Amino acid sequence: MSAYLVAMATYVGFFMILALALNLQWGMTGMVNFGIAGFYALGAYASGILTAKAGWPVGFGMLAGAAVGAAAGALVALLSVRLRDDFLAIVTLGFAEVVRLICLNEDWLTEGPRGLKIDARPFGSVFGREDYALFYLALVATAVLAVFAVAEAIRRSPYGRVLRAIREDDVVASVLGKDVLVFRVATFAIGAMFMGLAGALFAHFIQNISPYTFLPTVSIFIWMSVIVGGAGNNKGLLVGAGVVMLILEGSRFLNDFIRVLDAEKLSSIRIILIGVLLIVILRFRPSGLMPEEKFKPTSD
Amino acid sequence: MIGQLILNGFINAALLAPPAVAFTILFGILKFPNFAIGAYVTVGAFAAFAVNVQLGLPIWVAVVGAMAAGAAVAWLSDALVFKPLRGHAPVTLLVVSIAVAFILEQCVRLFYGGNVRGFDLALERPMRLWGLRITKEQLEILVISAVITLLVHLLLTYTAVGKAMRATADNPGLAEVRGIPHRRIAVFTWLLCGAIFGLSGFLAGLDLVIEPHIGWNLTIPIFAAAILGGIGSAGGALLGAILVGIAEELTVLVLPTTYKVAVGFLIITILLLFRPHGLFGQAEIKK
Repeated sequence: MSAYLVAMATYVGFFMILALALNLQWGMTGMVNFGIAGFYALGAYASGILTAKAGWPVGFGMLAGAAVGAAAGALVALLSVRLRDDFLAIVTLGFAEVVRLICLNEDWLTEGPRGLKIDARPFGSVFGREDYALFYLALVATAVLAVFAVAEAIRRSPYGRVLRAIREDDVVASVLGKDVLVFRVATFAIGAMFMGLAGALFAHFIQNISPYTFLPTVSIFIWMSVIVGGAGNNKGLLVGAGVVMLILEGSRFLNDFIRVLDAEKLSSIRIILIGVLLIVILRFRPSGLMPEEKFKPTSD
Repeated sequence: MIGQLILNGFINAALLAPPAVAFTILFGILKFPNFAIGAYVTVGAFAAFAVNVQLGLPIWVAVVGAMAAGAAVAWLSDALVFKPLRGHAPVTLLVVSIAVAFILEQCVRLFYGGNVRGFDLALERPMRLWGLRITKEQLEILVISAVITLLVHLLLTYTAVGKAMRATADNPGLAEVRGIPHRRIAVFTWLLCGAIFGLSGFLAGLDLVIEPHIGWNLTIPIFAAAILGGIGSAGGALLGAILVGIAEELTVLVLPTTYKVAVGFLIITILLLFRPHGLFGQAEIKK
């Protein structure tokens, strides 16, 4: 039971990092990214392959995961700056699917559908089995806090103000002398870097990654988290990620107490619940649970 | 070999053309890509299955059932979800439409599970035409699809209601001022498109197998066809469907079949990078 709670909290952590990263891209800068699962997968596979097949130390593997995420993010952003929002949604979704298909089909590199087994764990020899789960939760929590701190720092900084200006009207921002393209590509890359990092952390936690983990549904759940929590508000989307994850994973508890439905039916009901939650929240709280704070000029 | 692939491509296109036309009409009034269309297709396929296999009624009744069910869920999703949420950002609504797709697909799964099913039809040997293999069902799909696409084109071009639909899609405010009942036209559009999606579900079930993912797998090729043709043009969507359908089949010559799913995405990406408004679409004027 408590082991389950620790594992679930760790999962919430991965979700929170992904949601914070998406908020940086979409909530703050207005760039659409439905390829979250792709960057997540790239980070996971990069770190997994480098440690399991090339024998890299875990720390370097994770850094490489983040770096691969950032590089892919910059590339996708550069390629897609001309596209309108809704087409960009389809293109980024396609990017993630192509990444997933490559992981599925290039057996020599990724072990395909069987899944890539990853033995390496950060500080794996230091802790016992019970303690290790707690240690990993602490590690993920630290990562969440760090990403949160960076995201908040960006939001409050002059850089963040430029991002919001681009979100509201990119023409005005460029008239004011801001290089919109550079800001967009850099911010998208930073977000994708966090997604890659989350993937690497996930890979060494689960220790066996397969393409079936990185379905487009992951991207959609993150989007729902951000919309439910409140786009643009970093605290709100932590709540959003928590709520969505609680419905996704927490309802498994239900099954321990009432055994009316089989696992398959319960999984359907979970997804229906999340969909209904999103629609109801948007209907009654159009800006999410915690709307973006309005910018207040400091009076001195 | 190539001939057979191209024929298969046309059958593929026949499955894509009607929903691509319906998608492009719906896009006109919604202004965002509705990801729930795949779920309408799935509902249509399972409705036809319920009528044909579970109730044991003839196949033409199943067609009517599929169209009715498709129209009903499409209209309901507008009345309960999209209409009340109008005014949100297009991207938010896009996520909502995926939520609607999840809800519908999982409802189907709740009742039917994930198993693969088929219609109650006698299996027949494929016919041979000039050395090409084609089944009776595939021939029916080609004919039905061509007829439906032509009918929709005629409706849009020559009838009063079709003109009203195009006017409403182009500029709802102006259409309303000119005395076009906006809401009634919107409801008619939803019912018509829903019926086409339902019918597509029946056709897909005829050619492939019926399973809860059937519509989702068609969603991206449908988008690809509609975007390729330039959003808002029924003729373009048809041409887009033919190009996507054939491209999907021909890629097996250069890529392993497992990558077939990615073809739709690749077409969209490459096309949009060079022609951001589709092959035949015009740049819209920013208002």
